[in-house]
Amino acid sequence: MGMLHNLTGLIKVKKDKMTILVLGLNNSGKSTIINHFKKSNEQSAIMVPTVGFLIEQFYNMGVCIKAIDMSGATRYRNLWEHQFKNCQGIIYVIDSSDRMRFVVVKDELDLVLQHPDLRNRILPILFYGNKSDLEDSLSNVKIAAALGLENIKDKPWHICSSNAISGEGLDEGIQWLVQQIRFALLSNRKGSKMKMVSKDIK
Amino acid sequence: MATSSASNWLHVDIEEDTPKLCSTLSSCMTLSDVQCDGYVRLLVADISLEDDEEPSAKLKVFRGLTLKHEQPLPGVPTAIESLYTDETEPKTPVIAVAIADSVLFYRHLKPFFKYTIPATDADELELEVWRKLPVMKPETHEGLLQLLKDVDHAKLSRKTQRLLQLTEEERAAFISTHKDSVVGRTGNIVAMCCLNRVSSNVSPPSHLVLATDTGHIYVLEPQGFNLIYQSTICNYETAVPSLISVHGTYETDFSIVVGTRNGGVYLLRKSSSEGQEIFKLSTPLTGLLLLPIDQTIVITTMEHRYMCCSKRGKQLYQLHLESAPVCILPLPLTHLGVTLVAVALQGGKVAFYLNRYMVDELVVPETVAGMLYGRMGMEDHVLTLITESGEIFIKILRRITRFEPDTSAAALTKKGLAVPQKIGDASILDKSKKSSIFVEQAAREKQQAKSSYGSFQMELWRLRHTAARATIDAINSSESTISGDLTHAPVKLAAEVCGSGPVFRLYLTVQNLSTYKMASNLALLLHADRRHYTIQQSVAKLPSVLPGIPLRVDFEVMAVLDAMDKLPPATLTPDNSQIRVMLMKAGQAKPLIAAVVAMPQSEAAF
Repeated sequence: MGMLHNLTGLIKVKKDKMTILVLGLNNSGKSTIINHFKKSNEQSAIMVPTVGFLIEQFYNMGVCIKAIDMSGATRYRNLWEHQFKNCQGIIYVIDSSDRMRFVVVKDELDLVLQHPDLRNRILPILFYGNKSDLEDSLSNVKIAAALGLENIKDKPWHICSSNAISGEGLDEGIQWLVQQIRFALLSNRKGSKMKMVSKDIK
Repeated sequence: MATSSASNWLHVDIEEDTPKLCSTLSSCMTLSDVQCDGYVRLLVADISLEDDEEPSAKLKVFRGLTLKHEQPLPGVPTAIESLYTDETEPKTPVIAVAIADSVLFYRHLKPFFKYTIPATDADELELEVWRKLPVMKPETHEGLLQLLKDVDHAKLSRKTQRLLQLTEEERAAFISTHKDSVVGRTGNIVAMCCLNRVSSNVSPPSHLVLATDTGHIYVLEPQGFNLIYQSTICNYETAVPSLISVHGTYETDFSIVVGTRNGGVYLLRKSSSEGQEIFKLSTPLTGLLLLPIDQTIVITTMEHRYMCCSKRGKQLYQLHLESAPVCILPLPLTHLGVTLVAVALQGGKVAFYLNRYMVDELVVPETVAGMLYGRMGMEDHVLTLITESGEIFIKILRRITRFEPDTSAAALTKKGLAVPQKIGDASILDKSKKSSIFVEQAAREKQQAKSSYGSFQMELWRLRHTAARATIDAINSSESTISGDLTHAPVKLAAEVCGSGPVFRLYLTVQNLSTYKMASNLALLLHADRRHYTIQQSVAKLPSVLPGIPLRVDFEVMAVLDAMDKLPPATLTPDNSQIRVMLMKAGQAKPLIAAVVAMPQSEAAF
């Protein structure tokens, strides 16, 4: 019985929906990245700047991922915080060739991390150093140093360079993120099970 | 890349050991999407003024922080502008570079047109002299040239000016080579800016406004290169403009504010072809702006003053700056709905003003020579600062920044920073209004001082007497809309008559004006001539009226009509078609308010 339960539990995990928030400045390639994950017949050829936000669904590693693709335009960035509560992971896309705006990237990242909805949560953050094919793009290490990622101590994070047009590096990142979320879910479930057990004892 | 979270501006690190130097001014910097790829680049004219070389300039294009393109310019520019000439897609910006008397147009960074402003007609005497010079003997030249010396030097053509500087031996050769060229003056362009053609949506097509040192303002249409507006700054003297600021759209209305080298500020409108002087200062101006929202003019002067005036020349406020202002720049923050004014001060400080309050400041190591604000790259609010030695600083406005005058000003005072000190004197703007009538009247008053004083006093007492009598009358009859009884809460009564007759509805609104007292035990009484109006219910007891909440009561009033001819009775005239409304308080004989409602003429009921 216990084994069956475990099995259904596993299946349940596989059927689980994961909600991921996709953040980043305008023109960093958020929508292009999501577009790459979609099925080939659903992909769109022309990308236009997102207005407000879009909700996309795709399957990766057998998990149904609901991605909230937020607009990165300055006037829509205040919408980001409304999605913080109901997401399980964050993808933060960085245009690694736009050196001028690294300060803005860092500032916005700090605002996200300091937000009360996220500050005390253990939430995996995946950084994509996008546009790695451009000639003046920075390497992962340099981006991490520039953004001060080493200071993020309470959340698991990972950075990988990507090229959203060719798809290079995208899968590596999403695999890491799905694993992290799954891990968090399992440990949560265990935790809740423990609680239930302790309740029963009472 | 470290930023202090307290600052409103994020500092962009140039990350290079040898910073690229660019010596330029605010007018020689612009932002443009030259490659039409949506990435706005910084264009700077780098002016080199080395002692041992001819002054030269280069046009530099920066993509973000990196220099991408560089090309020499054929002269030292006075201004650079990026503009769109038409609405066709894809929109291609044109770079206009004003050099001497012409504007060079670049498309895709390649020259494609050169426009030279028209020459103004030469002085009649000068023409005459040039007609005579080649045919007359060299001995008589001196006499002819002596004639020209009386003419204002600035009004002579360039070749005459040169001729006057030559020695007698050189003159003959100069005259023979230049005798056939046209005698005309062309002014140099001293300032240039853009004027939107129609609306102010994203990247609208625009015209160019050119100011020349001959005191002319031209509006150039950059498609067919025609002048569509011409005017002179001042009709009675040559005012050499140095600063210009434009607001409006060409098709509807626009105003151009021009600051001249000798401290005058002039206003030009679409409707007039001549500028009107707004005011004149004794010290030269260092900056001039026409602010878009409240249409005020902001200027900074050499004597450390920051001043704001209306378009009529009335001084609105004035601040003292701690050091000399070098340049000023408007920062339209559309997402906040405010326009800040950045003032770069000697020493490297940049202060940001919202109206009269300093809301922010930042410090760079050196005096800022040029500033530029706008969309650069992919970011909307980028401030570029270029110092006197040519170092470039890029600051980006934080998204969460809010500028509020009072709180931030208070915060600044708390920090112990210098509060903008107000200067009291406004004498420079006072214009004398002594017309001849005024002078005559003043003289008369001096002669008949005693009698005019006496008659004035008598009239004054009479006026006071009339006013006092009217006041007493009003108090006695309570005939006002606000109760004057001091022992009760003040109550206001307003009336409104609806309907066209013979049935009217009279709405009365009673409002308690007190902040805490309740007005209780009130009743409304309507009184009218029985022959003229029938009132179903003429008394209404009112509930207690709470402060601030108006109470609305309505009454039905019916005009009495003759049963036979359905006309109002003959005794009803517009003078006595009235209903008296009285607001009574229980237990008090005198009404609080007694008002008269004039009734409109009733329509006959058929």
